[in-house]
Amino acid sequence: MSESSKFMPVPQSQNTKLGMWVFLGGEVVFFTSLILIFALTRLVNSNYDAEFRSLLSIPVIAINTFVLVASSYFVVRGLEAIELGNQEGMRNNLIVVILLAVLFLAGQAFEWISLFRDGLTFSSTFGMPFFTVTGIHGTHVFIGVLWVFYLLAGHRRRPYTKESHLGIENFGLYWHFVDIVWIVLFTLIYLI
Amino acid sequence: MAHATTGRRPNYLGIFLLLAGFTLVETMVSYVQQEAIKIPVLIVLSLVKAILVLLYFMHLKFDSRIFTYLFVAGIVLSIPLILIMMIVMPIVASY
Repeated sequence: MSESSKFMPVPQSQNTKLGMWVFLGGEVVFFTSLILIFALTRLVNSNYDAEFRSLLSIPVIAINTFVLVASSYFVVRGLEAIELGNQEGMRNNLIVVILLAVLFLAGQAFEWISLFRDGLTFSSTFGMPFFTVTGIHGTHVFIGVLWVFYLLAGHRRRPYTKESHLGIENFGLYWHFVDIVWIVLFTLIYLI
Repeated sequence: MAHATTGRRPNYLGIFLLLAGFTLVETMVSYVQQEAIKIPVLIVLSLVKAILVLLYFMHLKFDSRIFTYLFVAGIVLSIPLILIMMIVMPIVASY
């Protein structure tokens, strides 16, 4: 893209993509507020490591992070496939995205169950912000799974083509954003 | 479309391998005991990963800059929120 075309108005055909970026800008503010609640709860409580961090299983969550990053890769592969007119490739990659997303959610469920068994509750000092932020992120992943099913169902009725696949691109933007949020959460909650 | 305009495609597999590699490094660094080393390294790695996803997977490097401005607007709008929370939260916690 040339320097001048980078500032071109967004074509009318890409209005939904523009809308998606506006939505993602709002999501940045939303997730920042959630992350802040967690970060500040941690800052004002000195017993973070003993009461909470010692309960976390970093290797399990690192694998889960890898799974979500891999799902992002399969989303761009799906987009690339449809840009080349390969409808079958797009469909297969989106099915892999569903499988990886379900695996991620299963990993998160496993973690939550382990934490409940260790005595962490929704109303505890660290449980409240932790379950809120990871729960809302997980809900976004779940919505993403439903979105892929919707895309695949729509593809059966009216197939996406090399020329018309904005629905896939918009989903990709949402999914990668959810991935970015997890990249930040992984560092702030689990690693630091 | 980003690629239609440029005719170039990012090396998606390369980006994915970088992201996976950084995740592995982050996990190993998290076991380092010296906080003065660990925290800055982890924050930088996390930022690099997020920027890679934004630039290449979300195509901000190739798309109209309007999309970048919209995303950055979200970050800028978050700054007052961060400042207010940093002032209010310790006060609330002290009660």
